[in-house]
Amino acid sequence: MLWEPEHGGAEAAGRKDDLWVYWNAPTREDDTAAQIALVERVTHGNYQGLVLAPDQALALMTPVRRAVERGVCTVIVGSPLSIPASDRLSYILNDDEEGGRMAARRVALLLHGKGSVGVIGINPNISGIMIRARSFESYLAENYPDIHIVEKRMGSFNVPHEQQVAEEMLRSNENLDVIVALMWPSVRGAISTIENEPGKLSTKVIGFDPDALPFEANSLDSVIVQNTREMGYQAVDMIAARLHGTPMPPLVKLGPVLVTRENVNSKEVGNLTSMDWSKSP
Amino acid sequence: MRVLSGSRRRLTLGLAAVCLAIAGVAWYFYRHNPTYNLPYHDSFANGKAGEWKAFGGTWEVADGAMRNDSDERGAKLITGSPYWRNYSIEADVSLLGADGDAGVVIRSSDEEQGVDSYSGYYAGIRSLDNSLVLGRANHGWMEDVLKLSPVKPRGPLVYHLKLLAYDCQIVATATSASHNPVTESVTDKNCITSGRAGVRSYASGGVWRNVVIRPSSRQELAAMLEQGQQNNSATAKALFDRDHEVLGFNSPGPQRDMDKFHSSLNTQPISSLRLVSSAKPSKATVRGNVILTSPVVFIQDTTGGVSVPNPVASPLLKVGDQVEVTGSVDAGDFSSTLDRAMVRVLWEGTPVPPVTVTASQAATGDFDATFIEVEGRLHEKQYGPNNTLLLDLDDGSQSFRAIMNQGRGDALFGGLKPGSLLRLRGVSVVDPAFTHNLTPFILLLRSTDDVDVLAGPPWWSMGHLAALAIGFLLLALVVNFLYHRVENWRLRAVLEERERLAHEMHDTLAQSFAGIGFQLEAIRSGVPETFPVAHQQLNLASDLVRHSHEEARRSIATLRPDSHGPSDLLGALDICAKRMVEGGSVEVVSASTGDIVSIPLRITDTLYRIGQEAIANSVRHANATRLEISIEFDSGVVRLSIADNGIGFVQCRDLSGFGVRGMRKRAASISATIQIVSSEQGGTLVQTTAPLPARITFASWPKLLWHYLRRNTLHVELVGQPNPHSHR
Repeated sequence: MLWEPEHGGAEAAGRKDDLWVYWNAPTREDDTAAQIALVERVTHGNYQGLVLAPDQALALMTPVRRAVERGVCTVIVGSPLSIPASDRLSYILNDDEEGGRMAARRVALLLHGKGSVGVIGINPNISGIMIRARSFESYLAENYPDIHIVEKRMGSFNVPHEQQVAEEMLRSNENLDVIVALMWPSVRGAISTIENEPGKLSTKVIGFDPDALPFEANSLDSVIVQNTREMGYQAVDMIAARLHGTPMPPLVKLGPVLVTRENVNSKEVGNLTSMDWSKSP
Repeated sequence: MRVLSGSRRRLTLGLAAVCLAIAGVAWYFYRHNPTYNLPYHDSFANGKAGEWKAFGGTWEVADGAMRNDSDERGAKLITGSPYWRNYSIEADVSLLGADGDAGVVIRSSDEEQGVDSYSGYYAGIRSLDNSLVLGRANHGWMEDVLKLSPVKPRGPLVYHLKLLAYDCQIVATATSASHNPVTESVTDKNCITSGRAGVRSYASGGVWRNVVIRPSSRQELAAMLEQGQQNNSATAKALFDRDHEVLGFNSPGPQRDMDKFHSSLNTQPISSLRLVSSAKPSKATVRGNVILTSPVVFIQDTTGGVSVPNPVASPLLKVGDQVEVTGSVDAGDFSSTLDRAMVRVLWEGTPVPPVTVTASQAATGDFDATFIEVEGRLHEKQYGPNNTLLLDLDDGSQSFRAIMNQGRGDALFGGLKPGSLLRLRGVSVVDPAFTHNLTPFILLLRSTDDVDVLAGPPWWSMGHLAALAIGFLLLALVVNFLYHRVENWRLRAVLEERERLAHEMHDTLAQSFAGIGFQLEAIRSGVPETFPVAHQQLNLASDLVRHSHEEARRSIATLRPDSHGPSDLLGALDICAKRMVEGGSVEVVSASTGDIVSIPLRITDTLYRIGQEAIANSVRHANATRLEISIEFDSGVVRLSIADNGIGFVQCRDLSGFGVRGMRKRAASISATIQIVSSEQGGTLVQTTAPLPARITFASWPKLLWHYLRRNTLHVELVGQPNPHSHR
């Protein structure tokens, strides 16, 4: 659900601009080596552009820099790299600062301005997650001083490990009101932990970057979704324009959307999360 | 004359060999001189120390002195000749630590990285008990300690240290501004007789200035001993001339009462700093080992590393120190920073070993602020700002940069070649302030000793390929030259042999014919005219002898080496023809066309014989009035034509009677083709076309090689194919 909409957007732009899109990704989201291999394949292949959602903030710097040096127009989507934008390098990023603020406001709404929060899924490999973590924490501290972050834990793409992290957090903080999970495996770990003991835990979960929208689980309050469809569309469109001589804007930020039980069935959310990439949006 | 020339050459060669041998022996003795390159004075003030070799430690030239910021046990820096025998070394030594020692080494050999991994004598100042230590290491200090001095000089830990060796007497003196000189001496019966000099520290950093090494003398030894007796007479007298004895060594390791370290109870793992709140300032205390002191202090524990920029209160830190740091946490994505930190040294320790990782692993940031060892291939090297050296490296899909102080890295830097495989040890940093977002991480090296060259650049570099091509070209030229030389030698031998044969024939056969003719003339003169038959027979015999004599002379002329040039061939045939038609009305015309080239002897001879036969046929049978002889030089061939305007002959006639068979046979022997054209009105043309051997020149040898290979390849292919004409 996170990246297939991007595929749809990229295909739609490709059809419009008469570009063929090669789409591929590592089987694991933390398989950085496989993603580097894909980037190098594009770099040394007969490709005119590259759209990349980096799995790692640092390790992809050199491959992307080499791709740009070889003349491949590159658009980084989702989470940023440290390389500055250039004539052939542009960014279309999720507004993770807004995502952090969105989560903070949702926590405040749930807790009526007072309570305890745990943060899990902090993953420095993805810059966007760190940005949203800092934004969430600072916004909460500035605007809702009675809501306290009682514990923060690092995250990984391993769901059982994330479940163990959630169990430890809930064991040491029995009255924890909300868990903010910054990545989806952490969301799944937290939901599993709470749902495994029905009626015992009342902790709510706010998550990011969903693979699905499992609102049948009572503990899941809301998820914050990136507009990856628009990212994919704009990225391919920008590459097509660049190939025709139009410069690419260095940075475009797209705001995320808060999905709750109230709006999950709306047309906007449906369009945002549609995994059908075979037709135009 | 030749004999004299050969003798002179041999004499010259012999003298050259003797000179070379003398030079080699002189060089050997010069290098093995016990005072080679002495006296020596360091160039630390100029930032130069390329002649020193490190064994452990973090040796760098800083502020005009050699400095080791490491608490490593037994870090050494060695220089000089292994053949130095009687000499002294002196230096101004400052200790950086409280629990170790630092000093100088003499007569050192077999050095390796390790605590006491060398053979030699060491004198140093030990800070733990303020003592002057004089000992002998032989890859095991415990077994070869000479003695420890009971003298405990107090005061600042800055000393002028002098260590002298003369024969088997070793004496050391320590002097400080606030203290009387202290002298120790020993006599080591089984002493180490020669070796290099150096500086060394043990469990403490140190600073060495004004290192001077000079030959020692017995007088200097006596003066030092006398001075020592005056300054600390009781000790010196008791210890002087004592035989080498094994007393056991009290390790200068930490002997402090550990209770006096009042470390904080609120310390936390370094990795936990990354989870400290970023919304509000917070303080934290960590413990760890110092892994880097410059340009930023880095501390590492088992969970990770942290940088400590600009601490507000810090003692002089050395790599390996165990410290406690309290400061404001600035949590980063991959590691954190402790700002405005208070640093306290808990104790001095051994530097932590590096974690061996690949560049791809380091590029994930998981080893940020950690001491790592990584390999990479040098892409570029350059001088950086603030006297730093920058190495840009690649490893597969990753690029990274290594930064080190220039220090004593000039020699290393100059010797590094792009493409070399390097192993580097340093602190991995992903902070954009260092990486400038050019590479995922950089390595901050402690010193130039953190760079090991594992392999040079691949041999197939552009430069090497060009050199290889030039080498092949030169080789081909040499082979070409040698080939022609050998050909010339062979040709000369053939010519000499032919000349010898010509001389032999001239001196024997021709003279004999002349003698026989003379005798026949004498006989004929003596025979009365009344014997006409006898006269007729004598005339016939004289004609035969004359004819044979002529043939012999012609053969001799042919064998003469000076008669075989291209123009000579034409001239010889012209003479031959004119002689044959002498007295007749046949006109002989000879001409040459094309660029005249050298014709090999064998071809010249054969063409001459063929031409001679053709001329003879024309003169005898053609009834011609004009005889044309021409030689034409064309591309790679020489063409001889004998033409007349005689009666010719019918083409279908058997030609063997005209010696044509012999001509064809001769032509075949030099791969020539012979063409005979005759008609009753147009006379006869005998044309012989002989290929000339190709000349190997600078431009033509690749073409010839190609033709040679092609011909041989074709030959192989033909050999490999089944013969369609073979019987079943």
